[in-house]
Amino acid sequence: MESPPLEPGDEALARRAADGDESAFEALVARFQGRVYRLACRLTGSEGEAEDVLQETFLQAYRGLPTFRSEARFATWLYRIATNAALMQNRRRDRRPTEPLEEYAPRFDADGRHALQEAELALAARADEIIDRQRLAEQARAGIERLPEIYRTAFVLRDLEEMPTAEVAAVLGIDAAAVRQRVHRARMMLRGFLSHLVGVEP
Amino acid sequence: MTTLTCRDGAALLMDYLEGVLPADTRTAIDAHLSICPRCVEFVRAYRATPRILRESTAFEIPAGLEESLRRFLAGRRGPRS
Repeated sequence: MESPPLEPGDEALARRAADGDESAFEALVARFQGRVYRLACRLTGSEGEAEDVLQETFLQAYRGLPTFRSEARFATWLYRIATNAALMQNRRRDRRPTEPLEEYAPRFDADGRHALQEAELALAARADEIIDRQRLAEQARAGIERLPEIYRTAFVLRDLEEMPTAEVAAVLGIDAAAVRQRVHRARMMLRGFLSHLVGVEP
Repeated sequence: MTTLTCRDGAALLMDYLEGVLPADTRTAIDAHLSICPRCVEFVRAYRATPRILRESTAFEIPAGLEESLRRFLAGRRGPRS
């Protein structure tokens, strides 16, 4: 049996594309367009705007390829362009002011114990069983939208796109401890938000 | 080290789950979890939160996306900076 031909790596394709090989660039587009589109959807919360971000990302990537340094991962470099394009898109949009999620942080008593009982704390983990699928989909988008931007961006990359913390750090140009701190804040708020959705005020 | 409260443990959860805490802090959290059912449930919900939000915000890739991106890029590639 013949083994399948080995696919060239992302960085090898990027070097060829930087040298003017159009088919190498097209291969990179084919490989990454779905992931970039999904990331853009999650960062902007809108399919229509995600398409603009997708186009802008690959246009910038095409023009910037000669500056791509092959010691970096191509994916990380591309996600950085996509993330910045999505954030620019969000700033251009006439965003309605949203209520921040700070109110959903967990509450503790004077001794530092959880203010809620065990059974109440347990419910948020079952939000997807308790809440109607359609309503949860709408509320989840709305909840993520309400996160302050620096927490939302880190949370989308780390927890929704499931990138390793070190890669999120490279994409955002911050250290891993800062990524963990931002993702933690987002998870704390969103856990409380899920608790609120299942009828337990966090 | 002094006894850890629920509040202390909650503040360290991300670092705990990513395995970047010093051994003594990790041991203190494990000890607290072994006697605190509220924290056990809190950790369960904290860990479930990313999965629930990920699964409920799945986006479909529209059928014409590849073609419209190709047309967009074909018209604009031009000279590089």
